Amino acid sequence: MNIIDDIILHSPALIVAIPLLGAFLTPLVSKINDKLRNIFVIFIVLFTSAIVLLLANDIYLVCGKIHTYVFGGNAPITEGGFAIRILFEVDGLNIFMALIATILAIAGVIYSWAFMKENTGLDKYYTLYLLMIAGMYGMILTGDMFNFFVFLEITSIASCALIAFWTNKGKAIDAGFKYIVVSATGALFVLFAIAILYGQYNALNMAVLASKIQFSFLDKIALVILISGLAMKAGIVPMHMWLPDAYGRAPASVTLILVGVTQASLYGALRMIFTLYGGKLTTTMNQIGDVSIDLNLVLGIFIVGLALLTIFIGVLMALKENNFKRMIAFAAVAEIGYMILAIGAALTTVFSTNDAGTGMMALKGGVFHILNDALDVGLLFLVAGAIYYATKETSLNQLGGLARNMKYTTIFFLIGLLAVSGMPPMNGFASKLIIYESTYQVNPILSIIAILCSILLLAVFVKVFHSAFLGPKLPKFDNVKEVPKSMLLAMGIIATIIIFIGLFPDMVVNYIVQPAVNALTNNSNYISNVIGGI
Amino acid sequence: MLELEQIIRTVMIIILSTVALAFFGIFFGLIYKGIDRKISAHMQGRIGPPLRQPFRDVGKLFTKENIIPENAVPWVFNLAPLIGLVGTISILLYLPIGGFQPLASVEGEIIFGDLILILYLLMIPSLALVIGGFASGSPYATVGAQREMATMIAYEFPLAIIIITVAWKLGSFAAGGLGVENAFTLTAITANPIWNAVGPLGLIGLILLLIVLIVVTPAELSKIPFDAPEAETEIGGGLLVEYSGRNLAMFYLTDAVKTVVMASIIVALFFPYNLSPLFGLESYPAYIIDFTFFLIKILIIIIFSVTLIRVAVARLKIDQIVYTYWVPLTLIALVGLICIMWDGTMMESYGWPKIAELLGFI
Amino acid sequence: MIEIQDFLRTLATNSGFWNPLIWGIIIFIALLIAYIIRGRGKKEYKKQTEQTKVFLSGNPELEKEEMHVKASNVYWGFMESFKWLYNGLEKMHTGNVSDYILWFVIILGIFFIILGVI
Repeated sequence: MNIIDDIILHSPALIVAIPLLGAFLTPLVSKINDKLRNIFVIFIVLFTSAIVLLLANDIYLVCGKIHTYVFGGNAPITEGGFAIRILFEVDGLNIFMALIATILAIAGVIYSWAFMKENTGLDKYYTLYLLMIAGMYGMILTGDMFNFFVFLEITSIASCALIAFWTNKGKAIDAGFKYIVVSATGALFVLFAIAILYGQYNALNMAVLASKIQFSFLDKIALVILISGLAMKAGIVPMHMWLPDAYGRAPASVTLILVGVTQASLYGALRMIFTLYGGKLTTTMNQIGDVSIDLNLVLGIFIVGLALLTIFIGVLMALKENNFKRMIAFAAVAEIGYMILAIGAALTTVFSTNDAGTGMMALKGGVFHILNDALDVGLLFLVAGAIYYATKETSLNQLGGLARNMKYTTIFFLIGLLAVSGMPPMNGFASKLIIYESTYQVNPILSIIAILCSILLLAVFVKVFHSAFLGPKLPKFDNVKEVPKSMLLAMGIIATIIIFIGLFPDMVVNYIVQPAVNALTNNSNYISNVIGGI
Repeated sequence: MLELEQIIRTVMIIILSTVALAFFGIFFGLIYKGIDRKISAHMQGRIGPPLRQPFRDVGKLFTKENIIPENAVPWVFNLAPLIGLVGTISILLYLPIGGFQPLASVEGEIIFGDLILILYLLMIPSLALVIGGFASGSPYATVGAQREMATMIAYEFPLAIIIITVAWKLGSFAAGGLGVENAFTLTAITANPIWNAVGPLGLIGLILLLIVLIVVTPAELSKIPFDAPEAETEIGGGLLVEYSGRNLAMFYLTDAVKTVVMASIIVALFFPYNLSPLFGLESYPAYIIDFTFFLIKILIIIIFSVTLIRVAVARLKIDQIVYTYWVPLTLIALVGLICIMWDGTMMESYGWPKIAELLGFI
Repeated sequence: MIEIQDFLRTLATNSGFWNPLIWGIIIFIALLIAYIIRGRGKKEYKKQTEQTKVFLSGNPELEKEEMHVKASNVYWGFMESFKWLYNGLEKMHTGNVSDYILWFVIILGIFFIILGVI
């Protein structure tokens, strides 16, 4: 047995443990030298990424493989199904989310190097930054409900402090406060739901719970609370209002990771719906005449309704907004809407016998869009950060003519603009195409609204392009220079991945998205694999 | 399946057809522009320019100076007209031109694009105009460009309804549709004319959708009454105000090609019929007669949706344009959609016949 | 393992197709043609003269700051037609954190009624 196999065996633990340890070592390292600290943090993130890639390679080699990792040595004591040990599990969906987190984390630390250079208190910044990354990985990889809550709280607290990092600007503290109130409320409700489930089934392990769940009245309450709590963390309208505040005030490098954290919450909701309640989703809830109303139908329609609201309100607010970062935040809200639109549409059809293909396709589009949204919105936030770095302005009313001074940033912005509004040949088009061409089978209105809002998104960012980059040369920006290389490198990494996915969408769908969708829909495989592994 | 030989063959076909269609689009686009000007002149009691006038216009623009204003961002300013023309030409490859299959496919078997792609590609010329206008750095151009963007948002709503409804009627089983596979591809749409799929209610719905599409066309082409972005009398040509010489000629050509593209889309969606089966023709005589018939169909559509409307009515204000598209026209399109939805229910529950069956076409 | 052919495949959605590489070829060839056509036009113009000044119907040019249309003035026509909608949306976004939680409670309630009562 060589060292690579060992690393893969322990990789789920290592992926969380290395950034966590790194976080607590960072203050010590920064006592020595600032540059050494930056190198140390980048090394930690790159090392973690390497492990994620190794694990991903391992997972994708065998179709439908689930990697389980039990903490604390031997198999957990199972007495009447009571699984004591904490358990991490990695299937197609987990590794998909972990890959997204990895891309964001790498871009984030590289970007931070120059972007945060002029700030003080950077040892604390990097400590919290690594904590946030560790928490994000934890949320994604864990197979245990309570553990999920713990990581949710770790990310919440770390990100709250980072949102308020620019304390010299009072509004940042305001945003941090709002964030902690909202996320603490959401997390406590999640904890409440976990307690309900624990009280009934004596188990915290997701697989054990999934195999036992009965769909009693209490389970319904737990489902309602879990989904609402995680939906608030994911920023779904009308619970999205914290998101522009937090995204808008945080440093751009932090916002990038916040996008990942939001996606991780969305992943949590997906996991709860499809895996935890997956077996019971087709339970008939009510019978009116000949028509039986199934749970998946009610849930699907409710989610689709929320999604349409999310897309529409997100994009309309973005159109009106004049603060660059708040605008992108509203656009991010709308993008989340596309994912849950696909997921809701999939819920209504994926369990039926004659229309399952549509549901699978919609789910594919939705999951694919998680990846694309993280990259597109992330890139735009980095561009917004770059503009802030160069001009110290975030209000679009004050900007203008920057395309002359900042050529590379302009090109990266154009790539982000085309990708986020789903223009061909960027990655956004591929996933939106799948979403349009599957949801129209459920109801044509869904794809009509989706197409319309995609064009509105284009209008939103064309406005940014005009007001920040084009127009006459403004005398006050004569001395503005292109941003430092590390920031360009971070934007370049994301832009390259965007173009790669845009040019080879079918390959990405086949190799990365399909396993994730299979993992979502096949919850019996999950249960048998994880429980069998104990 | 993907042999090297086949790949090379496909690439060669694509390259050759791009060249051919580019010249087809530019040539016929300019001719149709000439016809349009001639007819509108006659409607206004003028003699009008000769048919080849648009060619002369382009030729003259090429001899003029290509001024780049000092407030413009040069690389964006120069690139925008080029991208507009390129994007428009690329749409032609995905459309069934002159009764043939879309050329971006392998013998109609492996298809490389569909209606949603066309919908997005249609945005590229408008987007190029908008970005070019913004890049000019002139207040007039900026006002024109933002109007163009608002117009674009406005007409995409009814346009999206039309495209999705047609594909949905063909593709879904639920609405008494045909259950056609790959309903978004133009190969499928032209092979199964939409009129064959509808009953009496659906016929009303389709006619409503066709009317809306004809009203969307002038806005897509920035023609009166929806030419607020250019509005010569108020903002001096709007987003084109700073353009001159060859850059302006590029926009002129884009407009010409886009006219052909829009008319071809209407033909493909609503009138995909050919004459050759009627006469029992095959091979070259069939190609010639289908192609001529296609040109005539395009001419009729251009006369109806561009010439007639533009001569008959005056320009709308920009907020009126947005209102017109988002409220009355969207409502009409939605009524059309609902008619087509109920049509399926009527056919299923009450056994209403399809129109085509009544007339004995199928 | 990933093969070269995987890169060439068309994305199929059961309802349509999308192949970016073919589109790329089309765009490249069309760009070539358009560039050649454009190249036939006259290139030069008189730099740094009256010619390159912005056209303002003969009015004098203002300061550069004044010449740039600000972001909040863009899309006036759209905002004007949907004033009623935006007024409602603005009322919704109060920026008050207790309202944020209120919305959460409302959604929780609606969801509970839908799932619990039906």
